[in-house]
Amino acid sequence: MLDRELAGQVLRTARARGGSFAELFVEERSSLTIRLDDGKIEELTSGLDRGAGVRVGHGTSFGYAFSNRLDPDALLQAASAAAAAVAEGAAGQVVDLRAQDPPVVHRAERPAEAVPAAQKVAWLREVDDVARAFSPHVRQVSASYGDSVQRVLIATSDGRWVEESRPRIRLGVQVVAGRDGVIQTGFHGPAGLAGVEFFDEHPPAATAEVAAKRAVTMLDAGPAPAGEMPVVLAPGMGGVLFHEACGHPLEADIVDKEASVYRGRIGEVLASSLVTGVDDATIPNAWGSFSFDDEGMPAQRTVLFLDGALQGLMYDRLRAEKDGVASTGNGRRQSYAHPPIPRMTNSHILNGPSKADDVLASTERGVYVTALGGGQTNPASGDFVFGVSEGYRIEGGKITSPVRGANLTGRAIEVMSAVDAVADDFDTWEGVCGKDGQGVPVGSGSPTLRIARITVGGTGG
Amino acid sequence: MARVADLTELAGVAVEAARDHESVEAYAEEARRTEVTAHKGEVEGLTFAESRGVGIRLIANGRLGYAYAADPSLEEVREALARARESAELATEDEFNALPPAEPIEPISALFRQDQAALVTERKVSVALDLEHLAVSADPRVTKVDQAGYGDAVSRVAIASTGGVNAEYGRTDCWAVVSALAEQDGETQAGWSFRVARELGELDWGSVANEAVERSARLLGAVKPASGRVPVVLDPFAGSSFLGVLAGALSAESVQKQRSLFADLLGEAVGSPLLTLVDDGRTLDGPAAAPFDDEGVPTGRTELIAHGTLMAFLHNTYTARRGATDSTGNAKRGGYRTPPGVGTTNFFVLPGATPVSDILRQAEGGVLIQDVSGVHSGANPISGEFSVGATGLRIQGGEVGEPLREMTVASTVPEMLKGIAAVGDDLRFFTAVGVPTILIAEMTVAGV
Repeated sequence: MLDRELAGQVLRTARARGGSFAELFVEERSSLTIRLDDGKIEELTSGLDRGAGVRVGHGTSFGYAFSNRLDPDALLQAASAAAAAVAEGAAGQVVDLRAQDPPVVHRAERPAEAVPAAQKVAWLREVDDVARAFSPHVRQVSASYGDSVQRVLIATSDGRWVEESRPRIRLGVQVVAGRDGVIQTGFHGPAGLAGVEFFDEHPPAATAEVAAKRAVTMLDAGPAPAGEMPVVLAPGMGGVLFHEACGHPLEADIVDKEASVYRGRIGEVLASSLVTGVDDATIPNAWGSFSFDDEGMPAQRTVLFLDGALQGLMYDRLRAEKDGVASTGNGRRQSYAHPPIPRMTNSHILNGPSKADDVLASTERGVYVTALGGGQTNPASGDFVFGVSEGYRIEGGKITSPVRGANLTGRAIEVMSAVDAVADDFDTWEGVCGKDGQGVPVGSGSPTLRIARITVGGTGG
Repeated sequence: MARVADLTELAGVAVEAARDHESVEAYAEEARRTEVTAHKGEVEGLTFAESRGVGIRLIANGRLGYAYAADPSLEEVREALARARESAELATEDEFNALPPAEPIEPISALFRQDQAALVTERKVSVALDLEHLAVSADPRVTKVDQAGYGDAVSRVAIASTGGVNAEYGRTDCWAVVSALAEQDGETQAGWSFRVARELGELDWGSVANEAVERSARLLGAVKPASGRVPVVLDPFAGSSFLGVLAGALSAESVQKQRSLFADLLGEAVGSPLLTLVDDGRTLDGPAAAPFDDEGVPTGRTELIAHGTLMAFLHNTYTARRGATDSTGNAKRGGYRTPPGVGTTNFFVLPGATPVSDILRQAEGGVLIQDVSGVHSGANPISGEFSVGATGLRIQGGEVGEPLREMTVASTVPEMLKGIAAVGDDLRFFTAVGVPTILIAEMTVAGV
């Protein structure tokens, strides 16, 4: 995309006034999105994005300038603009750029760009057919197929030269079911850092069935119970909770702003001894993985909780330099148009000793959550709230009727400490996490787990 | 390769390359943005951005294809057109796919402020630093911020089509945001505020800092409420979160696809007689004003709910053709990368006559909600059911009292709209949605 000589020149311009480092991030992204709605292939969108961002670090401050022009003039202009954020000083050094070896490569076996669009349209048609055939109560199906290849080039004043190609693929299906004036929706959207071989493991038809079943099942839902009670989270859902309630307050920028409930508490036991949680960008072909983060640091696995004890934070470059530690490879950005910040990759609670059946059988009364609708956390207090998009009552150790309108609220430390059973049936959930106006692909994962007591908000008794 | 500076020329190239049976529209936009955040008396981040791109919509035989390119050359615009043409061949034929005809557009000159476009970076930095300084000096319990920032954008849009549309406009926007953190006895509470204006001289950033401080500090000592059905007052911050759910349900796109809880209710009472809900793309009171929508149709004013009765839905050209009506000028896209859907412009609840102090007196024993979280996930836009997390304050003796946390509020949108018992006189816009303080006669609040 760019030769090393020009990259070096941009970095030297960016360090004209000093600062602690300079970095150039160049990106080209080609993408295809196909949307099916109301039985129709409504549109196919083919996109070509490109641009470059130049950052100059100065303590925990930075200057950032970007442009979607890649010509030398535009890049040098951006470098000067970013440098202007730094107070006047002596020019900084730029070390010779050396290519870095990736710790892991996420290869697309069958690149999506080589597959005809007609095949992708056929997958969406299959999704529509399968979802509609699932039940006469299915009223509407919308689905989107997306693939993209993001090619990045990162060069830093301390000599890193990183090139990576990230192939991403996703199929999302939303089903609307209706009966007797009751309308419910169900969504499922598996995603990977892979080629179309991803669908060998996640066939479009299976995704359609999961979404349809979710919507149709919820037609029978009654009001959710309200109050404190045990909640069992299905595989993957504990990971979603872990991401929101624990993951965000463990991002080093949140901690640096003294807005984290975990600040200054490394080494303390702040979760049940059954909880071991990691952030891992090295998982092959996982949605939140990469070879290098968006600052050119190698992907790594970071242990956040070990047997309930807090182990460490997720760092980007600025925050790591401030704390005098190494970056954990969590510096990520949505695109060249965004400066990197600490972000999760794949955040997982690892398998425990129990069996899911036993966990349910030993729960007298509570709620079983099979899909969370996303949530929000106040990282300062640890308060969080989650909508339950698919949930059931547990009565006498058995899953009984579905419930609607439920949500879970609690505080991170209390809730993670109240985990009293962790099973061995790990699964994942893929999403796009938003923070500071930037969306990045993230994975969450967990086995079945039980929280002994948590507040369920609902309208029923 | 020679570069082209003019948006209208980029858009024009695509239209010229259209074949006889094709309808082609090019949407070109460019923006220059600056954002400054302050932390501990210093500049935390300074971001400059320049971007531009072109999105091409092509319709042939009722089939739609779309392609975009970032900062394209003239040749790349023609290539994008060719990709849109290939895409269209795979799409389903839909007789309602069409581009809007050209209509006269009345410019809104007040959207672009020369002074703002020329504002120097040093001034922007000083505003960000002042925001943080004001936030940490107003109350001894607030000594830091989670975020204090100033941002602005100078942008321009041009649309050209084979239907004869040839329109462009420029705008300036600036905004201030503060999220303050209040601390006491080991407890931390966050409070947030935000304002947007067309130029710095009209941006009251001091009030942004003060509001964020007040809203964080007054939550200190929060307790969980008991569960029950009580009067609920939604302040404009909380109310604006719910308007997003309504916006989706009032889009003709949702209605036509049977995804709206209002689908079969046109002409019927869907809310309290106190509720009038409007979309107005031309009122300068709202930040989202524009002379034309994202496919070049002039903007206008649509009364969606009038005194509780559902009057209309929001339309773009596609949904209007499908529904045999006229576009309301509500085509909306997320920039040049996406074809237009349906969206709101300035979407707001008309203010009532009741002062907020009277509303608090009417809500004795109830709860003032100042912030809700999880509306996007906790509310079902189709069934209208929601159960969301909230922070707020108990209402005692006509005033706000004890703060409340870990509270959930559950109801349904229809029930909530019908339960509106008072509408305040304090309309406040947040980006594109505006709402005054609203009293709901009764809602389920759960704590325990």
